[in-house]
Amino acid sequence: MLKPTNYLTKVYGLPNGWTLPVYEREVQGYQVAKRVLTSMSKDDLVAEAKKANIRGRGGAGFPMGVKWSFMKPHATKPAYLVINADEGEPGTHKDRTIMELNPHSVIEGCIIGCFGIGAHVAYIYVRDELHLSKERLWGAIKEAKAKGYLGKNPFGTNYPVEVYVHTGAGAYICGEETSLLNSLEGRRGEPRLKPPFPAQVGAFGCPTTVNNLETIAIVPTAIGMGGEAFSKLSAIHNLNDGGVRLYGINGHVNKPGVIELAVGPTIRELIEDVGGGVLGGKALLAVIPGGSSTPVLRADDLVDAPDEKSPLHPWHGKSVLDVPLGVDTMRGVGTMLGTCCVTVMAEGTCMVAAMHNLMQFYRHESCGQCTPCREGSGWLLRSVEKILEGRGSMEDIDNLADVANNIMGNTICAFGEGTAMPALGFLKKFRPEFEAYVRGEKTKDRDARLAV
Amino acid sequence: MPTFKLDGKEIPFEPGDSIIRAAWKQGIEVPHYCWHPGLSAPANCRMCLVEIKPPEGQRGVMLDIVEWDEKNQRYENKRKPKLLPSCQMQAVENQEVLAETSPHVLEARKYVQEALLLNHPVDCPICDQAGECKLQDYWLEHQGTKKRMREEPIHKPKGVVFGDTIVYDGERCVMCTRCIRFMDEVAKDPVLEMRERGNLNEIMVAPGRKLEGNYTFMVEHVCPVGALTTKDFRFKARVWFLRSAKSVCQGCATGCNAHLDFDPRYNKAYRYRPRDNEAVNKFWMCDPGMMSYHRATEGRVVSAYVKGKTSSVKKALDEAKSLLASVPASSVAVLFSAQHSQEDNWALRELAATFMGASNLYVTGLPDGFEDNILIHHDKNPNRAGVMRLSSAIKPFEDFAKDVARGAITHVIALGGETPAEVDLSNVQIVTVAAYEGALTKAAKVVLPATSWAEASGTYVNAKGMAQVADKALEPQGLSEPGWKLLAALGQALGYDCTWAKLREVRERLEPAAPATTATAPASELAK
Repeated sequence: MLKPTNYLTKVYGLPNGWTLPVYEREVQGYQVAKRVLTSMSKDDLVAEAKKANIRGRGGAGFPMGVKWSFMKPHATKPAYLVINADEGEPGTHKDRTIMELNPHSVIEGCIIGCFGIGAHVAYIYVRDELHLSKERLWGAIKEAKAKGYLGKNPFGTNYPVEVYVHTGAGAYICGEETSLLNSLEGRRGEPRLKPPFPAQVGAFGCPTTVNNLETIAIVPTAIGMGGEAFSKLSAIHNLNDGGVRLYGINGHVNKPGVIELAVGPTIRELIEDVGGGVLGGKALLAVIPGGSSTPVLRADDLVDAPDEKSPLHPWHGKSVLDVPLGVDTMRGVGTMLGTCCVTVMAEGTCMVAAMHNLMQFYRHESCGQCTPCREGSGWLLRSVEKILEGRGSMEDIDNLADVANNIMGNTICAFGEGTAMPALGFLKKFRPEFEAYVRGEKTKDRDARLAV
Repeated sequence: MPTFKLDGKEIPFEPGDSIIRAAWKQGIEVPHYCWHPGLSAPANCRMCLVEIKPPEGQRGVMLDIVEWDEKNQRYENKRKPKLLPSCQMQAVENQEVLAETSPHVLEARKYVQEALLLNHPVDCPICDQAGECKLQDYWLEHQGTKKRMREEPIHKPKGVVFGDTIVYDGERCVMCTRCIRFMDEVAKDPVLEMRERGNLNEIMVAPGRKLEGNYTFMVEHVCPVGALTTKDFRFKARVWFLRSAKSVCQGCATGCNAHLDFDPRYNKAYRYRPRDNEAVNKFWMCDPGMMSYHRATEGRVVSAYVKGKTSSVKKALDEAKSLLASVPASSVAVLFSAQHSQEDNWALRELAATFMGASNLYVTGLPDGFEDNILIHHDKNPNRAGVMRLSSAIKPFEDFAKDVARGAITHVIALGGETPAEVDLSNVQIVTVAAYEGALTKAAKVVLPATSWAEASGTYVNAKGMAQVADKALEPQGLSEPGWKLLAALGQALGYDCTWAKLREVRERLEPAAPATTATAPASELAK
């Protein structure tokens, strides 16, 4: 059952909901930051953050508190908090709503985050074309500074915190954390080799934590109610996947949008109860659970978890649409939770065209550093294009899998997997459609529909 | 020294060595494009991927892939180990690394190789890199299959002029970034960058700049493929017709180790390539040095001259004899040359100082010039240190000029043609044994044609005091002969017992202990 909450979204839609007075009035804004800075120790804060079980909202689902705990004070170098608000994953549209409608939660989160990792400066990396988001963040910073929440002595303490908005140029790869750091430093946005990880050598060579914007925005809520209480809001708290988060629904549904829910709704609930059902009352064909890099699920896929020790065993034999959306549950059904914005595809959607669409994106956004991804992303696109245009052969279908297999894991950053996984997903789940194009049973002009 | 295992073979390593470097030190090549021993490791080509076995009791990272099951008409889930770039991963004691013995590694290499050729024009017949191209070598070694993608490859800018020396072909480029990193890390002029994204990537010169400075040739040298070519070598030769001689650059006192590539059919030098020597030039050479191979044919003395007219060597020797026969040793100046080999200078010392008893000893050569803190030395002569060790009485060229000006000198026996400064030589009678034209050959009554460094094996002592041998590449041009041989002939013409006739004899007498064929023997062993 859906459990809507409104910790982040209470001010959404209120008149001037993005301003400081509304934030303070409606959600007692900045009280948590004040309490943290005036009465908590860094270690207590990190312990509390760990208890909150906030899984990174950017897509990888790494526990935020654990990430914070990697930050060790450096003898000579400052530490930095960097907020990833690049939100470039196709089918993802949640961070933008926070920046536009509740920017103060981000700023307050930054203050707490800085304190938690021992930083005094936070950079929010926003993609440049999000003009309203930038305006709202800048406005929030200005308001918070004027009130003395940011600056040399926030809330009268001696823990200075500054927050800066840095604009990126809109490259998908700059959402990869080390690429983002390069871009922040004014370099070409290319992922760095790891190790060293950002917690050791991050922005400007200093220890750095990179958190997704939604992750940091929920921090005041989590710390405010106490880590454990926050975590327990989740239906899958027992899987260390706690709290509430924003869920998006897009594609072939009647009411696409973003909603805040306790962690653990099912895809079916999102489609039916949030999205208002599949567009035109059509049957559901497939779902991309969390942004284009996550492998597609078929509507008729069943959970295969005969092992009683498996966390997914309770859903063994049931439809994947009825599994709670969580980091580990989605991993268990062979895909990923990703950014938690579900793309719905109704009966009649051409999956070859859908894959072609995504491969265009990956071919365009590969930074080109590593050979397997640079050449492989283009090769995947060309092969699927050939198939779509009726020039393909069965070998081309086989090549698709072979190329994707060889991109997988062989690159510096996860972009390679982000390209290979959806490609393999489409092939695995919809190979007959590809074959139909090869055999001429389907043609691009007649069948390659993305809209239904 | 700690060791790890590469395909079952024990490989010793220094702590901090990457797997690929440790293997390279043992003469084992893990295939690679982007890694270069003298540059940082970007791990971007992914050709050097290896499988690293997890420590006992631990599980390695596995990745989900698929395999088509033809019989059941469905994809089977498969897992493969995560491969890691051996250029990035540091060697760890007792670690087991699989390369040739891992089917996953072999498959990854094959795919990377195919991917690199995917949009490559495969224009080998018109590519200067043909014959020494990693793409060619590795296709045979690691791929060996036809390309599966049959579409038109991506087209990119070709024939892009990067500067006065280098031309870029975007389609041949494998984006290894060696050129970018060389300019950044070694030349300290980050003038090259990558632009565009994905398979449209190309190397560019910073806007408003061109690729210039003293190390532009090295970007071509580090390029593993034919993307960067030098204007000097473009369309001049096929490398498989060239032979290489281990040479030493003559451009300055650094004495960079080089390969002198020449075509024996035409007896012509075509280029220099740096020869790796950690102690001298590492992997690099400067532009003036790279271009100095042209000196094998430019400004050479290829005939004997008597009073400015060409002559046979015999006639020139006769003339020299009559010129020098009755001159008192005290008014003879002996001019050693920092341009000539240690063998030539030794022969001059034997003749003039030992046999003739001359004591006015000086050194000539080219004037000082530009220097930097990378490779280029201000002394533009390859063997000054060697000359100065032949005798403590050797005085600088300024003293020679003064002594000539005050009339203390009437006759000169010299090596070389060049002088570091202008000097009025109209009142002295000069006999010179020279490879290159210069003020001395112009003023000389007798010129004997010596071979250049390219035509005879010679020892050169660099500024660090290392004696290095430059091997013979070309056959002697015109009438030229090794300088030490001509000096022996001159000595015999003058009636002295100059018996050395073979290079081996010269080297033995030069210093019996001198290891003449090693690249970097300390000169202290060589000079008296």
